[in-house]
Amino acid sequence: MTQKIDVEKIIGFTGYKKGDFSVCLGCKICASVCTLNDFSMHANPQGLLLKIFMGDDSIDHDPLIKNCVSCYRCTDACPWQIRVPEVVRALRESLKLSSPFEKAFKGSISIWGRVYEPYIFLNAIGFLIKNGYLKHLMKWTEYISFHLPHKIKRI
Amino acid sequence: MVYSYYPGCSLTGSAKRLDVATRKILTGLGYTLKEIPEWNCCGAVEYGNKEELLKLSGENLKKAEGLSKHVIAPCPACYRNLKESDHQGIFHIYNPLDLFDISKIKDMGIKRDLKNMLFTPYYGCVLLRPKETAIKNKNIMEEIITGFGGEIDGEKIRDRCCGGNLFFSNKEMTEKCVGLIASRSKGIFVVYCPLCHMALNTFSERKVVYITDIILYILGERKTI
Repeated sequence: MTQKIDVEKIIGFTGYKKGDFSVCLGCKICASVCTLNDFSMHANPQGLLLKIFMGDDSIDHDPLIKNCVSCYRCTDACPWQIRVPEVVRALRESLKLSSPFEKAFKGSISIWGRVYEPYIFLNAIGFLIKNGYLKHLMKWTEYISFHLPHKIKRI
Repeated sequence: MVYSYYPGCSLTGSAKRLDVATRKILTGLGYTLKEIPEWNCCGAVEYGNKEELLKLSGENLKKAEGLSKHVIAPCPACYRNLKESDHQGIFHIYNPLDLFDISKIKDMGIKRDLKNMLFTPYYGCVLLRPKETAIKNKNIMEEIITGFGGEIDGEKIRDRCCGGNLFFSNKEMTEKCVGLIASRSKGIFVVYCPLCHMALNTFSERKVVYITDIILYILGERKTI
């Protein structure tokens, strides 16, 4: 479903100013190093920036929204070090695309001030079952240890 | 000198062994660590609003100030967030990888070597990118492994992404990334990031250890690798 994008809000989230993107030379070195293109996903970070700049509503179909892994290879290669992963995260946030896991993560922080992994696991259990995560449980035994959550005190 | 120590959430749970080992090794190397009192989560990479994200680490730096402005953060995501939130550059924020020193490790008393063992030191993304927050010694894991007689492989994929960031939202992508890394390397994976550990361990059939497991093995601890 195509959502209306709020350009000012997205750019506000990234900490950039709109004019900061105008330095982009369009060289597309970002696309040439993008991890997604190792898997022929036709990712074009430069094109994504342009879509935001133009307020293009078709942006939520961009492969980077679903698949950007935040590897910063684009940033590393960019002549201006533009942080596309942070733009993608801002886009996800403004389009409210966070997964149940991410919601549980923030939920834990708001309760205890820290991430308590058992809480996240239990809160996201429906999502984990539905998406086939439980078959990996055997490999996760080494990560399990019993401890109680610690609620941080104000100091 | 006292160092403020920020373990971060993973190191109190799923990556507890990384916390225990890191404290043990740093203490052995002569660092005095004091845990930051009532530290809060750094937000990892779950926040789209950068100001909101960096505010969390800013809080941690305030809590560290009374202990020491020299802060040690093992988890790569915590390390990066802390470094980014230090806008005025008044803190010194270290990842333990930049404090591990092979000659000093030798002084701790070597009991074993790594001869006839093959490893793929894997740094992943967060420790190396963006440049502003990258660790200084980008060959530390190779230096430790080869310094104690081990062999290394996978030079070309050591900085590729494991896709761990999407592990709990789009695991097909993580699986693809790990598949690529595993197909272009051999031997035991050596990492320093809890998320890389989980991604590589879940989607490859190879053994995955932390560099701290290797150091403890050299120092004589049993069953760490």
